[in-house]
Amino acid sequence: MFFKGFPQNNQITYAGMLWLLAAQLVVMAPLAFYLPVWLIPVLLLSAGWRIRVMKGHHEQPGNLIKIIISGLGVGALFLSGMELVSLDMIASLLMLGFSYKAIEIIQRRDGVVVILTGFILIAVLFLYSQTILTALYGVFALIVLSGAMIAIHQSSSHQIIKDLKLSSLMLMLCFPLMIVLFLFAPRLPPLWSVPVPGGSAKTGMSDMMSPGSITSLSQSDELAFNVKFLGARPKQTELYWYGIVLQHFDGNTWTQFAQQLDAKAVKSKLKTSQRQIHQRLFQQDGSKGVGLEYEVIYEKSGQPWLFALSPVVSIKGDAFFGNDFRIIANQDLLEPMLLSLVSYPQALRDVQLPTASRQLALQLPEQGNEQSRLLAQQLVATSTSKQDYIDNILKRYQQQAFYYTLRPPLMDQNNSIDDFLFNQKKGFCEHYAGSFVFMMRAAGIPARVIVGYQGGEWNNNGHFLSVRQYDAHAWAEVWLENRGWIRFDPTAMVAPERIEHNLQTAVDKEGSFLEAQTFSLSKNQWLISLRQRIDSTQYAWRRFVLGYDSDSQTQLLKRLFGDLSVQKIAFLVGGLFAAIILLWVVFLGLTKKHVSIAAEHRLYQHFCDFLEQQGISREPSQTPQALSQIAITKLPGLATEIKAFTRVYSALCYEPDQHHLHQQQINSLKKLLKKMQRQR
Amino acid sequence: MLTPLLKKIHTSLDTLNQVVLGKEQQVQLAVACILSNGHLLIEDLPGMGKTTLAHALAKTLGLDYKRVQFTSDLLPADLIGTSVFDAQSSTFSFHRGPIFSAIFLADELNRATPKAQSALLEAMEEGQVSIDGETYSLPEPFFVIATQNPQTQSGTFPLPESQLDRFMFRISLGYPEPSIEREILKGDKGRAALDQVTQVLSRENLLTIQQLVPQIKVSDTLLDYVQRLIAQTRQDDLCHLGLSPRGALALLKSAQCWALLQGRGHVLPEDVQAVFVAVVGHRIIGKKETQGEQLARHVLQAVDVIGAGVH
Repeated sequence: MFFKGFPQNNQITYAGMLWLLAAQLVVMAPLAFYLPVWLIPVLLLSAGWRIRVMKGHHEQPGNLIKIIISGLGVGALFLSGMELVSLDMIASLLMLGFSYKAIEIIQRRDGVVVILTGFILIAVLFLYSQTILTALYGVFALIVLSGAMIAIHQSSSHQIIKDLKLSSLMLMLCFPLMIVLFLFAPRLPPLWSVPVPGGSAKTGMSDMMSPGSITSLSQSDELAFNVKFLGARPKQTELYWYGIVLQHFDGNTWTQFAQQLDAKAVKSKLKTSQRQIHQRLFQQDGSKGVGLEYEVIYEKSGQPWLFALSPVVSIKGDAFFGNDFRIIANQDLLEPMLLSLVSYPQALRDVQLPTASRQLALQLPEQGNEQSRLLAQQLVATSTSKQDYIDNILKRYQQQAFYYTLRPPLMDQNNSIDDFLFNQKKGFCEHYAGSFVFMMRAAGIPARVIVGYQGGEWNNNGHFLSVRQYDAHAWAEVWLENRGWIRFDPTAMVAPERIEHNLQTAVDKEGSFLEAQTFSLSKNQWLISLRQRIDSTQYAWRRFVLGYDSDSQTQLLKRLFGDLSVQKIAFLVGGLFAAIILLWVVFLGLTKKHVSIAAEHRLYQHFCDFLEQQGISREPSQTPQALSQIAITKLPGLATEIKAFTRVYSALCYEPDQHHLHQQQINSLKKLLKKMQRQR
Repeated sequence: MLTPLLKKIHTSLDTLNQVVLGKEQQVQLAVACILSNGHLLIEDLPGMGKTTLAHALAKTLGLDYKRVQFTSDLLPADLIGTSVFDAQSSTFSFHRGPIFSAIFLADELNRATPKAQSALLEAMEEGQVSIDGETYSLPEPFFVIATQNPQTQSGTFPLPESQLDRFMFRISLGYPEPSIEREILKGDKGRAALDQVTQVLSRENLLTIQQLVPQIKVSDTLLDYVQRLIAQTRQDDLCHLGLSPRGALALLKSAQCWALLQGRGHVLPEDVQAVFVAVVGHRIIGKKETQGEQLARHVLQAVDVIGAGVH
């Protein structure tokens, strides 16, 4: 390609270089949280090297040095312990190249390469984090990158603020287009799956329960899920978020099944249809109770378990029914997921219990915890009915010196129930739920442990409920004749505050609430309202931006425009695009009549360009006459043409009487100019 | 009709150049100023030939002229005149002062006090004087040719900007070339030639020319250029006070006059450039050290003659 002017005109200026460095830093800074942090010093050293070269302190590094340092960088990446084929590795390689490129930024096109790579890296950032803050930072990074793009295309020094203003304006012009694309671009399922970061890390509820497992969860104030009720909000004490059903006890740990199964096997074993659930629920008339409609946004957990008010009778979203009245996600939750659910908490569940289920709900290990079994037999003998037996057990928790604590003592491995019930008498919900179910089964009453969450914090700003990890809870379900599965919560006997309020109130005296996190927002009362405000913003972001999937898209379009055919959508989107373009045209002033340079001045400009090529440059204050005199002395061969050209131009510009000759004169100017150009 | 007049003007220019040696540009400017009906201010160090030029100019135009040396004790009455009691008719009669002449030479204007200065400047603006409730018209034409010393000289009262604005041109003569100075030293030209200056132009000639000046054609392109120049005096980083519309009018009028002197029927950018410094130099004020003529030259350098005008 042929560039007019001198080659150094395409070089990036010192100011442009600093701009680029700033843009690179802005792009790389957030990624350093997820990827090797030493990439930032690599960038700084590369840019520092280039700047020293610009100032003449160093030579531009040769190919050998470049090969060595890039080898070192790639080697360091392989040694950094990342998986070979993973997003982390690909992104890190891109960042490495991005950093090293700083050494090579000489020409304008090098700068353009860096900036375009920067745009890609901003997109990569969204694979790691999709919070509202990341989105805002992304916009900021776009402004800086566009500013750098403007800066490197200028050949003289200029104002940073001016560039930033221009780039912000450019992005603002793109804003309507962004909205249209967001609303209308088809939400396609991914064509291939990127190994998403954090996929292996499982957080939240575990699918087994041993003494202490929920206690450790209670030390976290991370969000588990948010709930928005479409009708009235149920009472706090009714908010039992039913999650995992634990049926099997090995003397110490409660698990879902006797065998250790992977998630896929568990899912296939539990999967059932909505019809069957309905059959098992609504067997008796008038036992249905009141339905609750609500939306839940689950945070990513890396697991398929979902939590809802049992029993769920209808699911809108990517989840299925489990045969023990829970709901399970089709895929592990690697990103936040939205579900619309309908539950009937008062409905009777499984009025008839199949034999297989009954056996599962009566399972106990052959040996161990003999003391508890003995107690069970004694109590059965003295109780008048099953209900009486249950009441007796619950009363025991209340009357004896049981304590609810976040710092439970270690139990005897082999006889954990005995140790808890007769010696220690201090425990957290898992101890109470576990021992209660044990006592039920020991008396021949079908029972099971349910783990999930209880309660949640009501956000008055956003009118939604936030359930956090410290709301984790375990309780029991007992099957009774004609009543089906009934929920019993032995923890409520010991610490009613836990159910009526929350964990913080329940362990207030002990001071053990979130004891590892001194500065947690959830702990400081005076910050709670601030946190609620932040939460409700994030909730809205989750719900309406991240949660905008193809279903919401269809719904929104239906609500806005009624039933839509493909052609209608195409017309609509086309119309919106046209409107946006029109807006740009008006905004950029393209509709205004273009200020055109009059023909004679343009021709004179060509004449000056021609003289410039011959080595005669014109000062701004030089009159045509003065220029022609200089030109004639330097180019005597063209004296006649130069004189004639100047005379005609002068007449055109300054002699008002000659207007009628205008076109004729313009033509003669053109002819003279061509003649001059031919002669050279 | 034009050609004999032009010839006469050129003759007068030649005569003047015999008196003030080696200052063709300044002499032509002085003549152009008078022909475009403006007042002239000549500023220079003492002994540079200011008074000689003013004197010769008055003589060659054949108009009656009076000269007053301004001093710090000069009173307005010394310029305008006074009412004197006539014992015979028992009435006051007005004795006209030196200002009632076609050409009034105000020598060393800035030596006088502001009071005396403003008496003169009022006359310049109104073309008439008032005394004792009576208004007396000044003759037509009426020119003031003032000389002044640079303001750095001791014993001067600088003229305020508003009063400087009333002078169409301010020119300065400057030291002569060595060869010219030699001729002056030989003594057969210069001041000695002043006595031999004779009238070249008549009062009627002068009035005809003054009527011809506005008829010199000004094209849109040229107006664009003039407007760019004016805008530059108002926007330039070095300029504090730009050119007033009165100054802009003076610029165009004198450019027309300059074109007339060149025997052209239309104005060229060269004409504007020729008079620009003289018209603008004393009317704009710079922000920094660049002032007066130097600033005017800077503005002239900065503005492109060729514009991108729309037609």
